[in-house]
Amino acid sequence: MRDQAAPAIEAPAAPALPRVDAGRLWRGALWALIGLVGVVPFILVIAISFGEKIEGAAWVWGFDTANYSRFFVGIGWPDEISFLFSQKLFFSLYYAAIAAVLAVILAFPFTYLMTRQKRRTQAVWLVFLLASLSLSEVFVVMGWDVLLSNRSGLPMVFRETGITAWLKEAGYFDTLREWGLANPRDVKFKTSAFATILTLTYLVWPYAVILLYPALSRLDTAMLEAARTMGARPLVVVRTVVLPAMRIPLIGATLLLFVFLLGAYVTITVFAAPAQHTLTLSIYDAIRGQTLNAPFGAAQAVVLLGTAGLLLGASALLARWAERRA
Amino acid sequence: MADLRLNGVGKTFAGGVVAVEEVSLDFPAGKLTALLGPSGCGKTTLLRMIAGLEAPSRGRITLGAADITERPAHARGFGMVFQSFALFPHLSVAENIAYSLAIAGVGRPERRAKAEALLELVQLPSMGDRRIGALSGGQRQRVAIARALAQEPSVFLLDEPMSALDAKLREEMQVELRLLQQKLGITTIVVTHDQREAMTMADRIVVMSEGRVEQAGPPTEIYARPATEFVASFIGKANFLKGTVRDGMVDLGCAALAIEPPAPFVDGAEVTIACRPEATRLVAEAGANQIPGTVTFVRDVGPTREIFVDAAGTRLTCVMASTEESRITAGDAVRVAMPPDAIRAYPRIPRPLG
Repeated sequence: MRDQAAPAIEAPAAPALPRVDAGRLWRGALWALIGLVGVVPFILVIAISFGEKIEGAAWVWGFDTANYSRFFVGIGWPDEISFLFSQKLFFSLYYAAIAAVLAVILAFPFTYLMTRQKRRTQAVWLVFLLASLSLSEVFVVMGWDVLLSNRSGLPMVFRETGITAWLKEAGYFDTLREWGLANPRDVKFKTSAFATILTLTYLVWPYAVILLYPALSRLDTAMLEAARTMGARPLVVVRTVVLPAMRIPLIGATLLLFVFLLGAYVTITVFAAPAQHTLTLSIYDAIRGQTLNAPFGAAQAVVLLGTAGLLLGASALLARWAERRA
Repeated sequence: MADLRLNGVGKTFAGGVVAVEEVSLDFPAGKLTALLGPSGCGKTTLLRMIAGLEAPSRGRITLGAADITERPAHARGFGMVFQSFALFPHLSVAENIAYSLAIAGVGRPERRAKAEALLELVQLPSMGDRRIGALSGGQRQRVAIARALAQEPSVFLLDEPMSALDAKLREEMQVELRLLQQKLGITTIVVTHDQREAMTMADRIVVMSEGRVEQAGPPTEIYARPATEFVASFIGKANFLKGTVRDGMVDLGCAALAIEPPAPFVDGAEVTIACRPEATRLVAEAGANQIPGTVTFVRDVGPTREIFVDAAGTRLTCVMASTEESRITAGDAVRVAMPPDAIRAYPRIPRPLG
């Protein structure tokens, strides 16, 4: 009897396949998607900005800095200098900065008072504000266009109610004319920086409230009460406790709205005077509109993006510096 | 320094919720009073009305001769320490402490000097430049106390100041706060739900329940002579028995107990009697004011021994010193003696709901 089993004959092993880690695969796919959607368009825009426009045709790839030189010193450089596009950049920043700051300034007291209300009241306001976010820029601009139009809007109301006549008699009309808010006969809001900023502010005000709401609703009310017991009147409490405690959300909300407003198009088209048009309109004209110069449009977009990035970086540094000093 | 007086002060919130019924209390100048009661009894609302953070729905609050009922919080000059301490995270420790002085327009050097002096007082010297986030719980509490004291308040209010601290630190801070209050001689009102904390610190305890003051008095009196069944149950432990008054005694069914002084009840009145466990004795020989029972459980708790006895249809507790000799074990038949002067009787009237 054999007490030792014969060694089993093993089948020849199949060639080992490299193991695929599903997690890594998904992560890789995700990064590829982010790259495709988020990075590639930027790289393309930057690359196109160095391209060259062929007169009477499209454009060709290249490495020409003429588009940037045209942006900063004009196409006639070095014979003549023009700051036309720098001026457009200035108006982009000007409108966006003022409207963002105004929206946050107006949203802050509203949101603060809203968070002091009962939960139910807060919920109603939040639903209303969220619903108002569904209004597109076109819809908002259309509404303000009607409100501010010379024939049927506020100028008509001013005229019919005698306010215009009173303004003329009281001598305020000339001041309005100096501010560009009146023509020789009537008050006018279109086109004016006032109407532009008003509409831009209105457009982003609900966003400002939504952005400030979480931080303000989390604010410890005991801190406010503590300040009151230490002799601070309500406004002093806001100035010395609420505002300093809220400075990061306030700065954050302002910056976010500023960046958002840099891209405003319809409002500027309708309400801003042509001499005060922004880079956004110029970029559109270059890429899809009248001038059809994609490389120059791309260069303008890159400068706008770079300027916004620089300003955001500077703001972050300033906030950090203020934080260290506080 | 003037006495603080509440005269019929009450608070009814929107929706008709009565947080505080009509409370009339005197807070003697320079004394520490503890408002003691379970959660929701109205003690914090009462404190907030005193601070001016909540408007009373009725009654008057006076400080000495001045009626301060309508005076806003910022004009009262009362220092307050909040449960969460409510320190300002955007200010340093010294800036927090000197906040009231900055509001009052006191100059920077003076503010700094005052903050340093207060930091010394609360035993946090040279911590003025620290951020609030860098402090421990105990340190934050000291800073909150120093901040409330900076404006030299006429009344010092503390809303559950120890609740955010761990047990060991809480014990230490209770003693420290009491020493500080005695040193400054400031009229102080502390809200707490911890009866041990109240007993440790207060000159006077006000026990509250369901928006009412159940009893106000020195801690020893509150403990020894609880005015209501609620106070007897909330302050320390007590053995409760139900009975009927007959001939000035309380008939429990299995025994009749005398009360000294006699209970002012008519014959047939349903009462609940209470006797502290340490006043309850176990005796071998039959006598007056005794209830027969059976030992169910004996346990030594450090310096004391607790003996649980089933008697008169309920479980009674007897506490004796561990050093006392005792051969009592579970299952022994014993007699529970309650001295007449240690028994308190309360009417058994069910309180209306709401």
